[in-house]
Parts: sequence; C-alpha cells; structure tokens
Amino acid sequence: MNSSDEDLIKEYLSGNQDSFKILIERYTTPLYNFIVRFVGIDNAPDIIQDVFIKSWKNINKFDISKSHFKTWIFTIARNTTTDYLRKKKMQTFSSLDSDEDSFEENIKDETILPDEELSEIEDKEFLNKTLEKISPKYKEVLVLYYQEEMTFVEIGKILNKPTNTVKSYHYRAILELRKLILHQNL
Amino acid sequence: MERDLQKLFKQAVYQPESRLSGDIWRVIETKEKRASTIKSFSYGFVGIISLILLVPMVSNLVNQLSQSGFYQYLSLAFSDIGSISLYWKEFISSVLETIPTTSLILVLSLLFIFLISSRRAFIMFKSPLLTV
Repeated sequence: MNSSDEDLIKEYLSGNQDSFKILIERYTTPLYNFIVRFVGIDNAPDIIQDVFIKSWKNINKFDISKSHFKTWIFTIARNTTTDYLRKKKMQTFSSLDSDEDSFEENIKDETILPDEELSEIEDKEFLNKTLEKISPKYKEVLVLYYQEEMTFVEIGKILNKPTNTVKSYHYRAILELRKLILHQNL
Repeated sequence: MERDLQKLFKQAVYQPESRLSGDIWRVIETKEKRASTIKSFSYGFVGIISLILLVPMVSNLVNQLSQSGFYQYLSLAFSDIGSISLYWKEFISSVLETIPTTSLILVLSLLFIFLISSRRAFIMFKSPLLTV
C-alpha cells in the first residue's frame, strides 16, 4: 500500500490490475473533497467516477517523467468539473477570470487573516459554509493549497496559470475569506 | 496562519461513502473486461480472415513458382553444383527473375498478420480479466 503513485502506474501497465484499484482508493477522498465543493454532495460521486474512467482510459499517455500523478488526476478532475458546470450552466472556475489575472502580488502581510479571525472558523460547518460563498477560482486555490498541500507551481499546472497568478488568487482568496468571516460575525 | 488554515481544512474534510471507491473500481473492471473481450475477438477475427486468405494466396504462389520455372532452377542447383559454382552470378539473377514478388509479399504479409493477431488474441484470452 505504500508504493508511490508512479510505481503503481508502472505495475498496472505491466499487467497488475490491483494497482489501479489502490490508486482509486488513494484518491477517492481527496478528489471527492475537491469536487464536492463545486458541485455538491449529490453530484460529486458521478463526477469522480468519470474522472477515474478518464484517467484509466488515458493512463497509457501519462508520462511519469514529466508530471506527478496527483497533479495529472487533479487536472482531469478540474476539467471534468468545469465540463459538468458548463453543461449545467453553473458558474465555472474560469468564468470569473478577467484582466486582473495578470495582477501580481506577494503576501507580505502574514497577518492578513489574524488568529482571532481564524479562531472564528474552527467549526467545520462554518468553514464549509464560508467556502461555499467564495468565488470558484479562489476556492479551488484554497482547497488545493490548504487541503491537498500542493505548491503554487503544482496548482499553476492544474489551473493552467502562471505561478504568480496563482499566488495572486491565493492572496485574494484569503482577503475574500476574511471579508466573509467578518461579514458573518456582524 | 498557513498551518492553522491547513489544520482547519483538514478538519473540514468531507467523507465520501465508504463503498464509492469499490463501486468505481467495479465500473472500470466491467469496462476493462468488455474492452478486452472486444479486442480479443477482433484479433481472433483478423487472424481467421488472414488464415482464410492465406490458403488461396499460397496456392497462387505455388502455381506462379511452377509456371516461372523456379523449381527447374532449384533442381538444377542440386543436380549440377559444378556449373552453378562457375556461373553463380547468372544463376542467382535467373532464379530471382523467376520469383513472383507480388504474390510472395502478399503471402508473407498475410502470414505476419496471422501470427501477430493470433499471438495477441491468445494473450487476451489468457488474460485474467476474461477468465474471472
């Protein structure tokens, strides 16, 4: 069970069917937590199934030397979720993209979300409800960065955006999170 | 702040139904079985067709070889080795002229297709996915 993703892919391609099963078990919960925040609990299982079917169909094309499986499968998950939202005519990740994407910022103020405000969202339900109100493009950065502990570079690959844009999104996401917490506490 | 937020996000994790990954695997397994069945039957079909086509093509090749005098040159090679060793260049060019190239290429291609498709079909039929 401790084999790396890449080892499991190699094993699967050499004929060990159970290796892909392990990958499914490993990524079901992370993908569910990413997808559920955009499509809701009822639709998430079907989309996850589509994500795994797409990854199974394209596993031969996956280049172990060029990218990590986690980044690859999250890219598939994002694209599948975007397609679903587009079909349902819901707000997609990129629908809020604008010229301000090129705006580059660095988080100089580490206390942008002070401890007092963080303590307000220690309740799980409170965080999930707050996240529901955040713009999708900011929410995906927050989920990938804090929940999946991905780097800005990895997130940039998934979002197909430059690293500085991802950093900018992250900064704005924290600002929006703060605004929402303050607004809900009033 | 970063660690605290990480901690918060980890706490706010949604848990999917425990059977979800099993269900997904079963769907993929079914699709894989279906794909393997289709592939093995396709390879088998190609193998059978190439074998069927191989019979008239081989008979045509044998006819063309006998009409072109190839067998006569071949028997000469075994009966008069002395003359052949003297005029080997002329002999080889004459033998090559008698070979029906198109028919030979067709027969070898069909044989190649038959061997490859039979091998693949055999591997597919032996696959655990089809025997489960």
